[in-house]
Amino acid sequence: MTLWMHELRLLLRARLSVVALILLAILTAAAVTAGMVEISRQRTAIAAIPAAQSEDIAAVADYVDRTKDAGSAGYYSFHPTWDAPSPLAFAALGMRDVSPYILRVRALGLEAQIYDGDVFNPELALPGRFDFAFVLVFLAPLFVVALFHDLTSGEREAGRLRMLDALPRGGAKLLRRRMLLRIALLWAALAVPFLVAAVASGVGGVAIFAVFSVILAYLLFWMALAALVARLRWSSIANAATLAACWLVLVLVLPTLAHVAINRAVPIGQGAEIALAQREMVNRAWDIPRETTMRRFYAGHPEWADSAPLGSAFHYKWYFAFHQVGDESVATKVRAYRSGLERRDAAARILGWVLPSVGVQALLTRLADTDVRAQLAYQNRVRAFHARLRNFYYGYLFRDRPFGRADFGRAPSFTARINAAGGSGEAADQ
Amino acid sequence: MSATHLIARDELRLMARNRVAVIALVLLVLLTLAAVLSSWSHQRGIAELRTRHQQVAAAAFKAQPDRHPHRMVHYGTFIYRPLGALAAFDPGVDAFTGNSMFLEGHRQNSANFGDVRQSSLLVRFGQLTPAFVLQVVAPLLLIFLGFGVLARETERGTLRLLMLQGVSRGQLVRGKLAALGIVAVIVGFPAMVGFVAVVAQPGTLALPMAAIGLGYALYLALWVVLILLASGFARRGRDALLALLAIWTVAVVLLPRIAPDIAGAAVPLQNRLQTDVAIARDLRQLGDSHNPDDPHLAAFKRSVLQRYGATRVEDLPVNYKGLLAMEGERLTSGLFDRYAGAIFAAQTAQNRLVDAIGVLSPTIAIRALSMAAADTDFAGHRRFLEQAEAYRYALVQRLNRMEAKNVSYADDIAEDAGADRRKRIAADNWQHMPDFAFVAPSAATLATAALPGIIILGLWLAVATLLLTRVTRRLGARQ
Repeated sequence: MTLWMHELRLLLRARLSVVALILLAILTAAAVTAGMVEISRQRTAIAAIPAAQSEDIAAVADYVDRTKDAGSAGYYSFHPTWDAPSPLAFAALGMRDVSPYILRVRALGLEAQIYDGDVFNPELALPGRFDFAFVLVFLAPLFVVALFHDLTSGEREAGRLRMLDALPRGGAKLLRRRMLLRIALLWAALAVPFLVAAVASGVGGVAIFAVFSVILAYLLFWMALAALVARLRWSSIANAATLAACWLVLVLVLPTLAHVAINRAVPIGQGAEIALAQREMVNRAWDIPRETTMRRFYAGHPEWADSAPLGSAFHYKWYFAFHQVGDESVATKVRAYRSGLERRDAAARILGWVLPSVGVQALLTRLADTDVRAQLAYQNRVRAFHARLRNFYYGYLFRDRPFGRADFGRAPSFTARINAAGGSGEAADQ
Repeated sequence: MSATHLIARDELRLMARNRVAVIALVLLVLLTLAAVLSSWSHQRGIAELRTRHQQVAAAAFKAQPDRHPHRMVHYGTFIYRPLGALAAFDPGVDAFTGNSMFLEGHRQNSANFGDVRQSSLLVRFGQLTPAFVLQVVAPLLLIFLGFGVLARETERGTLRLLMLQGVSRGQLVRGKLAALGIVAVIVGFPAMVGFVAVVAQPGTLALPMAAIGLGYALYLALWVVLILLASGFARRGRDALLALLAIWTVAVVLLPRIAPDIAGAAVPLQNRLQTDVAIARDLRQLGDSHNPDDPHLAAFKRSVLQRYGATRVEDLPVNYKGLLAMEGERLTSGLFDRYAGAIFAAQTAQNRLVDAIGVLSPTIAIRALSMAAADTDFAGHRRFLEQAEAYRYALVQRLNRMEAKNVSYADDIAEDAGADRRKRIAADNWQHMPDFAFVAPSAATLATAALPGIIILGLWLAVATLLLTRVTRRLGARQ
C-alpha cells in the first residue's frame, strides 16, 4: 500500500500530470453539464406540447363543430408525436440535434410528412456536439498520450532505467504499478463526473456499469498502444509524436475515409425520390375515375369496403383513400430506402469492431438510444401511431358518422415508449 | 549565400533525412489528393443528381393535364438547391441541411433529405474534404516537423555555437521560419492545385477562390509562427511539443465544439411545433377563412365589390374565389416570412456568437471564412430558403390569379356532374410557368463575406509575429 502511495505522490509532483488530470475532470464535468442542459431543453420542449396542442385542436374543433364533418377534422388536425430522451441521452446526444424529436402528423399521406425536419442551425451541428462521448472518444486518448508517452523513455533519458532493471524482479512490476495508477486516475477523472450526472439523470445501474466498462476498455486500448510504441525504445519526443499521429489517424482520418467508402458502397436512392413519387400518385387521383381509386383502396382494406358508394359531390373518404393509396404505392421504395440506411449503419458498426473510436461512439449512442437505429425506431412508432389515426378517422368517414367536439378527445394519442433504465436492455444486441 | 539561407537549407536537409517526417508528409499529400478527388466526385455527383431531379420535377409540373388551378397549388413543385463549384473544396453545411423542398400553397415545408440523416454515425466524425485536411491535419503535421527547430538548438547547446560563429538570433529565426514556411507551402500546395483544377469555371469565381487561398495561406503561416514561438520559448523540445499539441487540441478540436454549445444555449430556437401553432393563432386573429362572418374577410369582400362597382360577388368580372385565395395566401405568407425571419435572426445571432469565439480560435475563423467564400455556410442556405419562398409565393399567386381570371365563379362553386370538367383550365398554362432558378451570389458578395475571417487571421498573424520578435530577442538567454 505504501508503495502505491509513494507512486501517487511522485505522480502528483509532476505538474504536467496533475494539470492533465484536473483538466480532463473539468472537461468531463463541462461536457456532462452541457449534455444535461441540452436534454433538459428537449424535455421542456416535449412538456410544452400539450398546452400548444390543446390550443390548436380547440380552434379546429370550433370550426369543425359547425359542420360535424369528420373529413375536415382529419384534414385540419395535426397530432403530435415525440421521441423522449432516454436517461442516458445526456452522455451521447448522437443524432438528436439534427433529427426531429417532435413531429406532428395528420391522417393524410405519411410519406409526405415523416421526413420533415425540425428547426436547427446547421452551422452549429457541423462540428458535432460537446458531450461526454466527445470527451471520451476524442480527448481522453490525448490525455493517455500525455501521461504515458514517457513512462519508460523518461526513465531512460533520466538515466534511471538500468538501475530499475537491476532491481529484484526487474522494473516490470514498478512499471505495471505506474500504468495501473495512471489508468485508474484517468478513469476516475472521466467516470466520477459521469457518475454524478448519471445518478442525477436517473440512469440505471446496468447502464452506468456498461459505460464504466466502455471507458476502461477504451483507456486500456490507448494504454496498450502507448506500451507498444514504448517497446520501440524511441525518445519521449518520438513517442509523443507517434502516439499523436496514431490518434489523428484512428480518430479523425480513418472514420472520414470510412464514411466516404460506406456511402459509396451502399448507395441509397435519395429519399427525395419517395416524396416525388408519392406526390405524383396522390395528385393523379384527381385525373382518374374516383371509383378506380376506391377499388384499389378497398382491395387493400376490405374492412371499409361496405361503405356507401360515392355520390357526385366531393367526399373526404375518397380524399383520404387516395392519400393512403399514394403511400402504399411507394412502399417498395420506402423499404429500399430504409434498408439502405440500416445497411450503412450496420457497416459503420462493423467498422466499430476494428476502430475503437467508432466502436465507442456507436456503443455509447446505442446505450443512450440516440443513434440512427433510435431514429428509425422513432419513425416506426410514428408509423404505428399514424395507422391508428387513420383507423380512427376512417371509422367516422366510411360510416358517415358526424364528428362533434367531443370526438376530438377520442382521437388516439401518441404514447411514448416505456424506457428501461437508459435503454440498457438494448445493449445486448450490440 | 546568407546565413538565413544556409540555416533554412540546413533545416530542410535535416527534415529530409528524417524518414518519419518524409513519410508523414507524403501521407498528407496523398490524403489531400484523396480528399480532393472524393470531394470533387461527391460534389459533381450531387450537382448532377440535383440538376436531374430539378429537371424531372419541372417537366412533371409542365406535363400536368387540364386542371383546376387550385389543384396545381396543391400539386406544388419540388426544388433542389444547386451546389456551387466551390463546394468541392469545402462543402460546409450542405450535408447538414436539407437540399430538396416541396413547395405548395398554404404551407411552408422544411428542406428535407440532408445527407446527415441518410448516413451512418460516421458522418459526425467530420468529412474528408480538402478544407478539413488543411484546417485540422496540416497544422498537426507542421507541429511534428517544427516543434524542435529552435528548442533543439537551445537544448543541445548548438545555439551558442551558431551565435559564436556570428549568426544573429534574427537570422536564425528567419532561417527556421523560411524552412518551416516551405514545408507549409508543400503541405498546402496540393490542396490548392486540386482546388483550382476541379473548379470548372475559375474565371467567374476568381475572387472568392483568391479569398480562400489567402485565408489558408494566413492560417498555415500563423501555425508556422506559433510553432516557432513555442519552440523558441520552451526550454526543451518535449515541452514545446506538448504545449503545441495542447494549443492544437484546444483551438482545432475543443473550441469549435464548445462554441456552438454556448451559442445554442444562449440563443434558443423556437421549434417547428410552437412556430406552427403560433402561425395558426395569428392567422385566426387576422381572419378566419372558414367563418363567413369574419370581419377581415367581410371588409375584403366589400373592398373588392367597391373596386369593381358590383353588389354581389356573382356579378364580378373576375372569380371571387380566386381573389380570396390570393388574399389568403398573402396573409399566410406574410406570417411565414415574419416567423422565418425571427428564426433566421436567432440562427444568425448564434453564428455571430460562434464567430466572436472565433477570435480565440483561428480554426473557427478559417472555417467560417472558407464556408462563406464557398457559399456553403448558413448564409448560403438561407439565400436558398429565401429564394425558395419567394418562388413559392410567386408560383402560388400566379395560379390563384389564373383561378380568378380563367375560371368563372359560377363554375367554381358548381357541384353538378359536369362541373369538374368546366373548372379545369388548359394544360398549356402550366408550361408557361417560370422554372425555379437559384440566383447564386456574386463573386464580390462571397469574397466580402470572407473578409472578417481574413481580418481575424491577419490580426492573429500580426500578434504572433510581434511575439516572435520578442522571443527571438531573448532566445537562449535563459540558459
